[in-house]
Amino acid sequence: MAKNIEIKRMTGTMRIVHWVTFFSMIAAVITGLYIGHPYYQTFIADPAVDKYVMAWNRWAHFIVAIIFDVTAVLVGYLYFFSRFEKPYKKLIPNKQNIVEFFEVFLNLITLNRRKKFDSSHSDSFNIVFFTIFHLLLVFMLFSGLQLYVHGLASGHSSIGTWWPTMLHLVTDWTLYVFGGNIGVRIAHHYTMYFILVWVMIHIYYQVWRTIFWKEGDIAIVFGGSKFVKEEEK
Amino acid sequence: MNDNMERVREVFTQKSTRVDTNKGEEFYNSLFEKSKARLQSLREQEPLKDIDMMDIIDSEGINRRDFMKWVSATTATLMLPPMFAPLVAEATELMNRVPVVWIELQDCAGNSEALLRSSAPTVDDLLFDVLSLEFHETLQACAGHDADKQLEEAVHLYKGKYLLFVEGAIPMANNGQYGTIGASGETFYEHLMRMSKDAAAVVAVGTCATFGGVPAASPNPTGAVGVMDLVKGKAIVNIPACPANPANMVGVILHYVLTGQVPELDSLLRPKFAFGYRIHDNCERRAHFDAGEFVEEWGDEGAKNNWCLYKVGCKGPMTFNNCSIVRYNDGVNWPVGVGRGCIGCSEPDFWDKYAYERPMATARIKAPTGGVEKTVDQFGLGLLTATAVGIGVHAIASVVAGKKADENKEI
Repeated sequence: MAKNIEIKRMTGTMRIVHWVTFFSMIAAVITGLYIGHPYYQTFIADPAVDKYVMAWNRWAHFIVAIIFDVTAVLVGYLYFFSRFEKPYKKLIPNKQNIVEFFEVFLNLITLNRRKKFDSSHSDSFNIVFFTIFHLLLVFMLFSGLQLYVHGLASGHSSIGTWWPTMLHLVTDWTLYVFGGNIGVRIAHHYTMYFILVWVMIHIYYQVWRTIFWKEGDIAIVFGGSKFVKEEEK
Repeated sequence: MNDNMERVREVFTQKSTRVDTNKGEEFYNSLFEKSKARLQSLREQEPLKDIDMMDIIDSEGINRRDFMKWVSATTATLMLPPMFAPLVAEATELMNRVPVVWIELQDCAGNSEALLRSSAPTVDDLLFDVLSLEFHETLQACAGHDADKQLEEAVHLYKGKYLLFVEGAIPMANNGQYGTIGASGETFYEHLMRMSKDAAAVVAVGTCATFGGVPAASPNPTGAVGVMDLVKGKAIVNIPACPANPANMVGVILHYVLTGQVPELDSLLRPKFAFGYRIHDNCERRAHFDAGEFVEEWGDEGAKNNWCLYKVGCKGPMTFNNCSIVRYNDGVNWPVGVGRGCIGCSEPDFWDKYAYERPMATARIKAPTGGVEKTVDQFGLGLLTATAVGIGVHAIASVVAGKKADENKEI
């Protein structure tokens, strides 16, 4: 009888990054929708109360955005220099990776009828999917910071003038690409939907894998490990 | 493609839009000396019109104190320290040394209208009686060939010295035949090019002249464009808004009289003293924005309490202008003050992208990809629904296929 053995798939750092991203995203979506279109009114009618609802929403949005950015930088680093698994290696378009990509994809669309790849390690399909997500996040970073710095016309900020100057330098191109502030705003908003679509597919796929592969994939993000049958190993 | 490269180059070479309100003592001292010398040389010139500013002020019943109040306000508007106030007052007197030619192209004359309603001390007087306004079709008495002659004379006489004010967009479609001027049938484009050739600087007034404005709104049948799209190799100052605020027009002229230069400009060639901040930054309703107190519909409880107009479509957070400080009509009021939102009239493409009285989130604006007239949220929800349906189909198919596979195994 086949014996299941435990294999490690995510380090502690990776899991922390995952859940920080998860909670940041929830907060960013809720507050971002409010900033774009305030969908509830202040609950307290008394004017002499500290009730800065929009200010708090914007505060939360910017804080999680910065946390988001920092984790994106961290992920970017781990992409190339992780001592665990270097994701970029699965992105190199060599024959092995391309074959693996399509095998995993075929497994998904043939409803698990064709499992001709090694599921004990992160496969290239998974890494491409993972990379698309982070590209979307990086785009949110640039467009979001442009929307933010647009209001800092004075060129001053509480931490000095270098900050807005730097933001202008790295984000002003979005104004030209999307035809001004309104275009950047629309692009930022659109991208949120693409990210949500990504999240839906991601959750579905992880659950689906867990059910059909019977290898406990969903446990990866909690405990860091999954199981594979010994003979496949 | 070349245009795009040009734009990219612009992005990486443009000066920061930073507004430096205090450039340091050294800078202002040197500017002060320069301005003094400039005013001295202007004083030595023959006035183009022999009219004394102070006489006019007296005759209009404006006292010295009121005049100095206006001078302080104007000095502050130009973001100059108080020590410049006497120079600004002097520059006002010497405005009759600087010739101004005002031409009007494809527009509604709203900027001329705004100028006529200029603030104290009745700047109409400044402009008509002191400022040497050599040509202004809408306002002058002469017409026809006389008007043509006056224009030719002015341009010839003040070659290289006059400020050219341009009001209105330039229609470029159909060889510019949508707008012609005078008996010769000269197109607006030819007219603009001829007039700007010998101007000291070109001041585009109003959103039509700066970014094309309403005439350039989609589908732009006349192919309207702004002055800066056509005139090259000249100092151009853009004073957008619909209409441009007369305080900013007077400010630009005064700055030129005072220093002999155009004021510091941002990347859209707008003077920073006027367009350095968003109207949102100095809006009297800003506290209500931060507090999350929004007008939901016209005339509701929030509207009665002067709450923020963001949810009924105010574009203040994206619009750069000083209306929230300077206001309009002798500083009496401005759009947000009277209870309606800003429509972003001083921004490029304002008619297509800003001028709708709906919040951003519910506006039906064209997507950047072009053509798709659905709003972002409708598209987004559609996308999410499609994804959910796709996932559902896959899930059901997987379950069914899984069961079949199990049945086969048992057999």
